[in-house]
This record gives sequence, structure tokens and C-alpha cells, in this order.
Amino acid sequence: MNRGKTSTRVLFGLAALLALLPLGIESKSMLILLTQIFLYAVFAMSYDILLGYTGIISFGHAMFFGIGAYTTGIWMSKWEASLLSLWLALVTSVILTGLVSYVIGALSLRLKSHYYAMLTLAFAGLFFVLAEKWRSLTKGNDGFTFPIPDVLRDRTALYWLALVFLLVSFWLLRRFTESPVGKVLQAIRENEQRTESLGYDVLRYKIIASIVAGVMAGMSGVMYALTLRFVNTAVFSTNVTLDALLMTIIGGVGTLYGGFIGAALILLAHTLLTDLAGVHWIFERWMIFFGGVYILAVMFFPQGIMGTIRQWRQKKKQATKLAGQPE
Amino acid sequence: MDVLLNLTINGLATGCLIFLLAAGLSLIFGLMDVLNFAHGAIFAWGAYAGGWFYMETGSFVLGIAGAVVVGVLLGLALERWIIKPVYGNHVSQILITLGVLLVLNECIKVLFGPNQISVEPPALLRDSWMVGGVILIKYRLFVIAAGVLVFMGLHYVLKHTRLGLIVRAGVMNREMVEALGINIKRVFLFVFLLGSGMAALGGMLFAPYSGVIHAEIGMDYGILAFIVVVIGGMGSLGGSALAAVLVGLLGAFMAYYVPSAALAVNMLLMLVILMFRPTGLAGGKGA
Repeated sequence: MNRGKTSTRVLFGLAALLALLPLGIESKSMLILLTQIFLYAVFAMSYDILLGYTGIISFGHAMFFGIGAYTTGIWMSKWEASLLSLWLALVTSVILTGLVSYVIGALSLRLKSHYYAMLTLAFAGLFFVLAEKWRSLTKGNDGFTFPIPDVLRDRTALYWLALVFLLVSFWLLRRFTESPVGKVLQAIRENEQRTESLGYDVLRYKIIASIVAGVMAGMSGVMYALTLRFVNTAVFSTNVTLDALLMTIIGGVGTLYGGFIGAALILLAHTLLTDLAGVHWIFERWMIFFGGVYILAVMFFPQGIMGTIRQWRQKKKQATKLAGQPE
Repeated sequence: MDVLLNLTINGLATGCLIFLLAAGLSLIFGLMDVLNFAHGAIFAWGAYAGGWFYMETGSFVLGIAGAVVVGVLLGLALERWIIKPVYGNHVSQILITLGVLLVLNECIKVLFGPNQISVEPPALLRDSWMVGGVILIKYRLFVIAAGVLVFMGLHYVLKHTRLGLIVRAGVMNREMVEALGINIKRVFLFVFLLGSGMAALGGMLFAPYSGVIHAEIGMDYGILAFIVVVIGGMGSLGGSALAAVLVGLLGAFMAYYVPSAALAVNMLLMLVILMFRPTGLAGGKGA
């Protein structure tokens, strides 16, 4: 119980610090970078619901991100750039991502892990092709820029919005993972057969997990579109899914915080290393470093940064408990 | 009529290349239950390394040999260091080989530059024949011949040698083969190296076929190979061949008649087949 309280306090402190940060930061690009970290953190957390909590590998997470980004862009450019259309974009993307993740989940979650991974890749590929070909709506590969509500044109306001979005999403997802449904998901991850034999409808729970993950990913797509004020088919590309995968694994699977840490690490390192490209061209190929770290993480730290810390803390706690016991 | 024939030859040649890539992948999965997403990267490495040897020495044969050697060496390193620690764990296999794919692709950009490279067919195969109004491009016929030869060789090894017997038995029931005292790990290593060599060969033959190569072919064709393996049924050589030719032909015809749908046709094919036959056309194992 005590640990729960301290971590809540730490969280509140961190949130307050992040909220005050824009007052001390002059650089616009830094604010944008932080805003992006927040929204990618939510994206990675949503992926963690699948990978870390339920043990499902999806290769199609980009499609939900893309749906969110495109609905925002389309509402803003075809209708008007008001808070009302932002609201409508949010509602539309929740409905769309919910529907799509339900249909795909119901169709393919009964397959084995690798078949499911391939099928999600195929579905995401179809969305990519659809976005490329439906030029009247998406302008294809060129993409389009769009206006956003005046209030959010201020980078600091957008920063705060992203921060609130991150905190609310984190709170919601944590409630979800700690709910009875979340516990069943973790049981599925640990042992699917046993969970099934206990009488749980495993498929139904997996579909719930994929809907929650899909809807959250869609909302991070909405935030992404707001930050960039531009959208093109790249939001549907496999690389977007890979980003979520790398962030989740490096940050730590099954922890939620891990998504934030992974997103921060990867985006910061990406910016830093790209800046260093002027010093030596090898930094241009920063994916080599990350790929290497990622491979080592899968091999030696399958829990990622947060998971390893948590494991280490639990061990220490057990050790003190044991030492405290009378012989 | 000549259009139909040309498209068919086109499709068959592409199918043969995809077969070279998919067959190894399928055997590796069927025998050892390992999902190797880095397979496409070996294809790309075969294309680049082979192209490099070919351009440095001027000999196409040496290029092919170089590509195969590089492919086998990569396969050896991959099996020893990457795959071995994650036997029996699908999730880790998918994650880790995906990382290898990323790293190997980036390494190509570091070594050979990020821009695409053009590779020409050797002088002997550069032209085409005119047979009764039909243009037969020599290199395409050569690729088809190579694919058929490899298929026949592989078929012979699998069906008529002791090693092939062990591999086939291993695909069907690994525990039984192990119980008979056969070191299936060594057999697997052999299949893995064979698969990697074939993938690199496919990449090398692909380079002059498409004319230009870029690092992304590892990802693109890796995915295509997986689609083919899934359609054909994992672990089945015949299924892979059938599916590769099907995908090649379908791709060629769609690109000509319905170009807007060509990009999605493989995905749709896989979706439809998996919905109705979750184990693929020739698969009995799995799902």
C-alpha cells in the first residue's frame, strides 16, 4: 500500500514539473519535441496493452494511429477548424477505430500468434493502399495541411493539451489494467489454456484488449495530426508500428510507464543523433544503434527498462523481508 | 495473345524469385517452428553483396557465388547468436528477428550508401528473342530456369536422400526424430543455411531482374515471402512453390489489367485464404 502512495506522489510531482516546464523553456522546437513524446507515449502504452498485458503481437497498430490522424485532418480541412470539429474528430475516430479493431479482432484473434501478426500486417497494408488510392479524400502520398483551432495554434497550449491527454490516458489505462478485465488479460498472457479452462471466454477478452488498444492509438493519432497540422500516408506505414514496438520493448513491456520512457528515449535520441549527423555521417543511421539496443533488450532484458527496475525492486523487497524474519 | 504470354512469363519469373525466398523460410518454420523475419534482409544482402562481387569482378557467376557465401555466413551468425537463445518462444522470435531485419537493412545503407543501385544482366542474357511476334526476354527465362532447377534439386534432396527423409520427418514430428537419436539441431542448422543461401541467391537474381535495388527490398520482399509461406502452408515445399507462382502471376496480371488494386492483391489473397483455410493451401500443421 505504502509503495502505491509514494509512486502516486512521484507521479503527481512529475506531472506538476512537466506542467510548469513550458514557463522555463523558450525553444519552440523543444516544446514540439516534448509534445510529440507525450502523444507517442500514449501510442506506445496502447501497444503495451496488446503486447505487454495480453501477449498479442500486432503488426498493424499504425492503422489506428492513421485513422485518428486522417479523421482529424479531414474534419478540419473539409469542415471548419473549430473546437467542435476537434470534438467530432475525436468521436469519429473513437467510433471508427473501435469498429475496425472489433471486426479485425473478431476475424483473426482466434488464429495463432504469427498468423495474427501477419493478418494485422495485411489489414494495415490495405489501409495504406486505401489512403494512397483514395486521392479525393486523402490527397495520396503528398498529404495535405489543414488549419487547427485558434486556441491550439499556441505551442504552449498544445503542449498542455498533450500533457493532459497523456495523464488522462495513463489514468484510464491504469484503471483498465487493474480492473478485473485487465487481470484476466494478464492471465491470458501467462497461460492461455489455463485461463480458458477456468471458464473465461479468451477470445472475447482478447477482442476487448484490441479495442482498447485500437481506440487509444486512434486518439494519439488525433493528437499527432494536431501537432503536425499535416497528414500523409506515412501515418499508415509499417514504420509507425515499428516505432510503437521499439518504444514498448525498450521502455518495458507490461508496465505502461515503459511506453513513456521508451517514447522519450527514442525521440530524444533520434533528435540528438540526427543533430550529430553533421559531426559524423554514421549518426544518420541511428536505427543501427536502436536496433542493436532493441535486440539486446529482447535477449537479455525482456522486461525493458521499467520492467527490470520493477523486478530489481521486488527482489530487494523480498530480500529485506527475508532478512527481517526471525530465524 | 502475346500480352497474355508476356504477362505469364513475367509472373512466372517473379514467382520463381519469390519461391527462392519463401522455400527456405517455409522449411525453417516447418522444421524448427522458428519465425525468421530477418529472412528478407538476407535476400537484400544477397542482392547487394552479389551485385558488388559481380561489378567488381565482372563475372556474373562469381557474383552468384559471392551472394550465396554471404547469405550462408549471415545465416550461420543468425542461427548461432540470435535464433538459438529464443527457440520455442514465438513472441521473442518475432521481436528479435524483426530487430535483426532493421539492423541489417541499415547496415546495407552504411556499406553501400542509401541510394538505389542499378545492376544490369550479364551480356549473355541481356537481349531477347523474337519468337513468332512474342518477345522473350532472356533474363526472365533464365530466372525461371534457375527457379525450376532449384525446386527440382530441393525436391530431389527432400524426397530421395536420407537427409531429406530426416527433414521431412522432422517437419511432421520433431520429437519422434529426436527420440530416434538424430541430432535435429544439426539438421536444422543445415536447413537454415540452405534457406539463407537460397534467399541470397534469390536476391542476387532479383537485382538485374528489377534493374535497381534499394535497402527496402529486404522489408518488402520479406513480407511478400511470409505472405507466400502463409498462403502455401508453412513447412510445405510444394505449397510454397504453388503459392509463389500464384502470387507472381496474380501480381503480373493485376499490374497490367487493374493497376490500382495491384498493391493490395497479395494482402487480399492472404486474407481470403487464411479466413477459409487457416493453415494455408497445403498446410496440415498449425492453427
